Amino acid sequence: MMRGITKRIGWIKFSCVSPDEIRRMSATKIITADTYDDEGYPIEMGLMDPHMGVIEPGLRCKTCGCKVDECPGHFGHIDLAMPVIHVGFIKDIKLMLESTCRNCGRIMLTAEQIEARRDDMSEMKDLGGGTIDLKNFSKETAKDASNKGICPYCGTEQIKIKLDKPTTFREVDDNHKLTPKEVRERLERIPDEDLKTLGMDPATCRPEWMVLTALAVPPVTVRPSITLDSGDRSEDDLTHKLVDVLRINQRLRENRDAGAPQLIVEDLWELLQYHVTTYFDNQTSGIPPARHRSGRPLKTLAQRLKGKEGRFRSNLSGKRVNFSARTVISPDPLLSINEVGVPFVAARELTVPVHVNEHNIGKLKEMVARGPEPSMENGYLPGVNYVIRSDGRRIRVTDRNAEEVAENIDIDYTIERQLMDGDVVLFNRQPSLHRMSMMAHRVRIMDGRTFRFNLCVCPPYNADFDGDEMNLHVLQSDEARAEARILMQVQENILSPRYGGPIIGAIHDHITGAYFLTHENPRFDRFEAMNILSKLDGIKIPEPLVDEEGKEYWTGKQLFSIVLPEDFRTAFKSNICQNCDVCTKENCQFDAFVKIRNGQLLCGTIDAKGIGNSKGKILDRIARDYGSDRAAKFINEVTKLALGAIMNHGFSTGIGDEDIPEEAALQIANFNQECINEVSELVESFQNGTLDQMPGRSLRETLEVRVMKVLGQARDEAGRVAGKHLGLSNPAVIMAKSGARGSMLNLSQMAGCVGQQAVRGERLSRGYWNRTLPHFDKGDLGAYARGFCSNSYKTGLNPTEFFFHAMGGREGLVDTAVRTSRSGYMQRRLVSALEDLKLTSDGTVRNTVGTVIQFKYGEDGVDPSRTVRGKAIDIDDLFAEVLGDEADTLLNVDDRDIGDDYGSKEKDELEYTEEEEGEDYDDLDTDFEGGGE
Amino acid sequence: MAKKDTLKALVNRDISEEVSELLLTKYNPLSAISAASLEDLVAIGLSEETAEDTLTKIGKRTARTSAGTAKAKKPVPEVKTEVMEEVFNERIFTPAESKLKEIADRQGANLPMKIISEIANVVEKSDLSPEIYEKLIATANRMYTSHLMDKNESTGVMAAHSLGEPGTQMNMRTFHYAGVANINVTQGLPRLIEIVDARRVPSTPSMEIPLIGIAAEDESVARHVASEIEVTSLLDIASVETDITNMRLIITPNTRKMDQRDLNLEEIVERLNKVKAIRGLVKLSDFQIVITSDEPSYKKLQIMYDAVRNAKIKGIDGIARAVLSKVGGSWKIITEGSNLKEVLKIEGVNANKVMTNSILEVADVLGIEAARNSIIREAMGTLGEAGLDVDIRHIMLVADLMTNDGQVKAIGRHGVSGKKSSVLARAAFEITAAHLLHAAMVGEVDNLEGVTENIIVGQPVTLGTGAVNLIYTPKKGENE
Repeated sequence: MMRGITKRIGWIKFSCVSPDEIRRMSATKIITADTYDDEGYPIEMGLMDPHMGVIEPGLRCKTCGCKVDECPGHFGHIDLAMPVIHVGFIKDIKLMLESTCRNCGRIMLTAEQIEARRDDMSEMKDLGGGTIDLKNFSKETAKDASNKGICPYCGTEQIKIKLDKPTTFREVDDNHKLTPKEVRERLERIPDEDLKTLGMDPATCRPEWMVLTALAVPPVTVRPSITLDSGDRSEDDLTHKLVDVLRINQRLRENRDAGAPQLIVEDLWELLQYHVTTYFDNQTSGIPPARHRSGRPLKTLAQRLKGKEGRFRSNLSGKRVNFSARTVISPDPLLSINEVGVPFVAARELTVPVHVNEHNIGKLKEMVARGPEPSMENGYLPGVNYVIRSDGRRIRVTDRNAEEVAENIDIDYTIERQLMDGDVVLFNRQPSLHRMSMMAHRVRIMDGRTFRFNLCVCPPYNADFDGDEMNLHVLQSDEARAEARILMQVQENILSPRYGGPIIGAIHDHITGAYFLTHENPRFDRFEAMNILSKLDGIKIPEPLVDEEGKEYWTGKQLFSIVLPEDFRTAFKSNICQNCDVCTKENCQFDAFVKIRNGQLLCGTIDAKGIGNSKGKILDRIARDYGSDRAAKFINEVTKLALGAIMNHGFSTGIGDEDIPEEAALQIANFNQECINEVSELVESFQNGTLDQMPGRSLRETLEVRVMKVLGQARDEAGRVAGKHLGLSNPAVIMAKSGARGSMLNLSQMAGCVGQQAVRGERLSRGYWNRTLPHFDKGDLGAYARGFCSNSYKTGLNPTEFFFHAMGGREGLVDTAVRTSRSGYMQRRLVSALEDLKLTSDGTVRNTVGTVIQFKYGEDGVDPSRTVRGKAIDIDDLFAEVLGDEADTLLNVDDRDIGDDYGSKEKDELEYTEEEEGEDYDDLDTDFEGGGE
Repeated sequence: MAKKDTLKALVNRDISEEVSELLLTKYNPLSAISAASLEDLVAIGLSEETAEDTLTKIGKRTARTSAGTAKAKKPVPEVKTEVMEEVFNERIFTPAESKLKEIADRQGANLPMKIISEIANVVEKSDLSPEIYEKLIATANRMYTSHLMDKNESTGVMAAHSLGEPGTQMNMRTFHYAGVANINVTQGLPRLIEIVDARRVPSTPSMEIPLIGIAAEDESVARHVASEIEVTSLLDIASVETDITNMRLIITPNTRKMDQRDLNLEEIVERLNKVKAIRGLVKLSDFQIVITSDEPSYKKLQIMYDAVRNAKIKGIDGIARAVLSKVGGSWKIITEGSNLKEVLKIEGVNANKVMTNSILEVADVLGIEAARNSIIREAMGTLGEAGLDVDIRHIMLVADLMTNDGQVKAIGRHGVSGKKSSVLARAAFEITAAHLLHAAMVGEVDNLEGVTENIIVGQPVTLGTGAVNLIYTPKKGENE
C-alpha cells in the first residue's frame, strides 16, 4: 500500500573506524593482489572475493546469500605490514604531535589552563557555537600548547616537529624522520581527557586510528569491474589502487620478515605510504598523482566525492528520476496558460499509479482491458502498463494478457495508468534560476512529437522555440499532486516574488493586438466583431452601438471590456504615454490615459503597461484581487481577443518600414558630418595642447570623454530625426511604442545611424600599432578611425564599420559567456547560504539551529509577491474600498505614481545590441574544491 | 639559499654576523627565531644580553620572552572615554498618526507604522468622520493580514532566487560615473558579487560627502574642504631635483598649484620634517626647500628622494581624488578612495549624510547595523542602476544573514555557507573531503534539519509543507 513516509532519520553521527572494528566488520581478509583465476572466477581472499558482494547476475554473495541488487556488499580488509599515515588527517596529527609531550603524551598546558579552555568550550557550545567555531577554538588550544619548550608534567624538553608534505614528519634538530610507527606510538600516549581538551571525542576517534594498521577494502559493489565487448575485464580505479597497495604490502612484509637491510624496508614503507595516500586522495599536493596505464590520473576515494561530478553534488544533492520525459518545445496559442501539450507517444510511457477501490474498480478494469496500446480510433485513451498486486508483485500488461489481467483486478491492487488529459505534471526548463522555472501544468494529450504550451508562459521559463527542450515529470502520489495543484500551478505563479508584479502576461503580438483593438477606439461591424470574439467561450456580447447611418457596430474598447471582471476599476498611464509636462488625463491626445470603471474601459490604449508581462497593471490587480483562477482566465481571454484583433487588422513589418525620406537622410548625414568635424577639431586641439583638461583626468581621457559625448549626440540626433519621420502608424514604431518588441533605439540604428562602437566602454583602440585598421593613418584619433559607424543598418555598413561592429558584437558574446558562469556561481552560493532559512510560526526568520536572522520578515512580514509595487497595502485601494468614488477627489489618485514600472525597466541607453542569451550553461561555476586552506 | 636570505635579514636588523650564524644553526626562518624563547637562545650559546637584544631586534616583545615568569605589568594607558551625547532620533507622531495608531491599538490591529503614516498623510488633508477612521483601519488591517507571508515559507530560497536570477541579466563591465563628477564606480554583476563577498576593499572605493553650513553654499569654501580631503603628494605641487654634488634635494614648489590646494611653504616644510627618512633635515631657503643629507651616501640620498616623492603633504590617506559637484543647490564632494573615519572629522562635512561604498569600513566605523543598511543600500543601488527591480525584503534578508553575528560575513565558503551546522550541507557545497574527515574526527552529529541534508538522505525537507508534522490516520470504520 502506498502511504506517506511517516518515519524520519533523526540524525547521522560521523566517526572514525578503529583497526579492530575494521577487522571485525571485514567479511574477508585480502592477501593476494590477483583478482580472477584463469577460468574467470574470482580468487578467494583476492580483491574480488565473492564474500565482499556480487556484481554478476546469477551469482550469490557468500556472506549474506543474496543476489545482485539485494546484497549491499561487505567490507574486507588488508592488514598492513607496517603502519601508514592517513593523509586526510595529516594536519590534525601534526597539531596533536606539537601540542602534546613527546614523552608522556600529556597536552602541554597547565591544569588551570586546561580547565579554562574546557570551560570556554562548554560555554561556546551552550551559546550555540557551531562545529567550525569549536574547530577553530581547539586549533587555538593546540597552538597555545605547542609553544611550550618543556612539558609541564614530566619536564621533558620538546623538539620542534616539521611536516614534509605530504606525509613525512621530521624532528627539526637532527632532521630525524619520525616513522609512522613512532607517530602512532606518540598518539597512543595521549590520554582521553586531553583529547577532549583538543576538541576530539575519544569514543568516536582515537588519534592513533589516524595511523592505519588495517585498511578497509570497500565491497566489490562499490568498484564493479566492467566486461568489455571483447570479453576483457576492465577493473575500477579503486581496484587498481588496491592492487598496488597489496603488492607493496606483500613485498614489504617479505623483506621485513627476511631481515632485509633497513634502507630497503624503509623505501618500501614509503612506497606503501605513497600508494595508501593516493588511494585516499590522488590530488594530494606534493606528490605525483597515480596514473592509469593510459596516462589518465586515477579517480580515487576523495575524487569520487569531490566537485560537481562528485558523489555529493551529482548523486546526493541531485538525483535522477523516473516518470519523466524530455523533448523539444513548440508554441500553441490555443492552450490555456496552465496546460501543456504532451505527445501521445510520451503519454504512453508515462504512468500514474491508481489505487483500486470499490468505486473505481469497474472503470479501471475497463482500462486494463484496453492494454498498453489502445487503438486510436476514438482519439487517445489511456491504457495501463503495469498492474501491481496487493502482495507487491508487478505484472506487465501486454496486448495478449490484458483481458486476463483485467479479470483478476481486485480491491487494493494498484494499476499504473497512462497519462491522460487533466493530469497534473511538473514542467521545467533549465537553468532553473527561480521557482517559476518549474511549474505544474494540466496535461493535454496531442499529436506530434513536441511539448506545447501557451506563449504567455515563455517568460518565467525564459524559453523560446529555437530548439529549446524541456522536461516533464509525472507526479506519483496524491500528496504530491495536491501540493503541485495548490502551490505550483501556473496561475499561482503569475505574480513574481521577485518584484510583486506579473511575470506571466501578454507578449509580442498580444500587445500589438490589444493596441489595435483599443487605440483610438476603432469600430467593428458585426462580421469583424464576431471574428475577433470567435475564439472566446461563454462570453456575454454587449449590445451593439448604432452609427449615424443606422448600422450596428462595436467599439474596440467595448470588446476589450468583455474580458474584464465586472466591478473592475483602475487608472494608469499606458506605455505609449509621451510624458507630457501637463497630463490631460481623459482628454489625452494620444489616448494614453487608461481609466477603467465598473469593468468598462472608458479611455486609453491597452498595451504593455496594461497587460504585458512584468508591467501589466490590469493583470496584477486581477491576480491580486480576484484570485489566480480569474487571472488565468483573463490572460487566456485577453490574449485570444488580442490575437483576434491583430488577425482582423493584419500586421507585418519589413525592411520598408525603416525607409526614411531623402531629406531626412540628408539631415542625418549632415549632422553626422558636423559631429565628425567637431571631433576632428577636438583631436586637433588635443594635439596642439589647447584642449581644456577636466579636473582629475588626463588630457587623453578628457579627449575621449568629449568625443564620446559628441558622437553620442550624433546617434541620438539621427534617432530623433528618423523617429520623427517614422510616424506612429509605422508597424515597427507601433511595436516599440506599445512595448511589444524592440525599442526606438533599435529602430534608430536601423534607419538612422548605428553609432559609436565600443569595447570596454571605450572607443576602439586596439588592432595594429597605433591604429585600429591599416585603412587609417597611424595615430588617427578621428571618429571613423576609432569605430564610429555613421551608416544605418539599412543603408549598410562599409567594410571598416562592419569590422568595428563585429568587434563590439564579439565583446557582447564574451560578456554573456563570462556572465552566465559568474552569476551561476553567485547564485549557487546565495542558495547554499540561504536555503535553510524559513519563516517560523512566530513570525521570525530563523536558520536550522534556531538562530534568529530577522525578527520580522522584511520588517513588516509581508510576502513580496502579494505586495503592491513593494508596498504592504495599496492606499488607493484602501480608500476606494472604504469611500467609493469619493476617494478619487480625496486622493487625487490619477496624479500619483501610476506611471511606475515593475521588473526590468526599458533602458535604451544601456542596450547597444539586442543580445541572445547564452544557451550554454554547462560550466556554470568555477569550482573551488580543495582550495580549502 | 633560504639560509642566506635569513642571514641577510638578520644583518639588516643590526644583528652581528656571528650571532646570526649561530642562530641559523638551529632556527631557519625568521619567525622561528622570534618564536624561540630567551632560554632557547641562551641554550645555543648566546649570552643572555645578546639573546635579549637579538629578540628585541627581531621584533619580539621581551615581555613575552620571559615566558613562564609573571607577565610584565605594563601600565595600561588610561582610556579616556568621552561622555557621548545621547541622540534621540525618535520620530514624533503627527496628530493624525497618533489618532490612527490609537484606533489600531484598540482594534488589536498590528499594522506597521508605515501604513498608518501613509493613511494619516491622506486623512490629514480632509475631515472624515471617526467612523470612517475606524473603517479605514479595519480595512487596512484586513488587507495587510491577507498580504502576510505564509508560515514555514522558505524565505531564504526566495531571496536567493530573486537576487540570483537577475544576475544573468546584468552587464559585466559597466562603469558608471557617480553624479556629474567623472569618477568610476564598478556596477553591474561584478559589484553585486563584491557586495555578497563582503570584500574588505571594494574594487572602486568611493565616497559621497555632502557638505554642511557655509561649505555647502560657497564654492571656494567647498573647494577648501575638498583640498583637506584629497591626498596631495609633494609631486602634485612641486618638482624635486637631486643635487648630487652637494648631496641634497632641491624642491621647487609651484605657487599656482600650492594656492589651489591651500598650502604655503612653511606648512610643507613642517610636513616634510615629519617624514621618516628626512626628519629634521628640511630647510627653507628663499622659495625653495632644501633637504641636505646627513650622511655622505648615495644610497641615503636615493632613500631620501623616494621618501620625498611619496610624501603626503595634505589630505586623508586612501582618498586619491575629491571632486566637487552641485546637487540640489548645495555642494557635495565625490571621492575616489574611501576613508570614512577620517572624513567624518573634517570640518564642513555633513557627518550625518556621508556615504561610502566600502561596507566593511562602515562596519568598522559605525557598527554592524550601519553595515547592514549599507549592504541593502549598495545592493539596491546596483540592481536599480541595471534597471532591475528586486523587492527590498529579499535584500534585507541577505543583509541580515550576512551581519547576523556582529561581523560582516561573506556569502560563500569562508562565510555563511562554511559555518553551517550540518556536515553534509557543508560537504555538499565545497571542500567536501575536509569537512567529512573533520566530522569523523570529532564525532560530529548531523541532525538533518536543513535542506541539503534531507535531500541527501532522501526525505522531505523541513520547509514549507515539509515542516508540518501533523499526520492524520483515519480510524477503521469511521465515516461509515
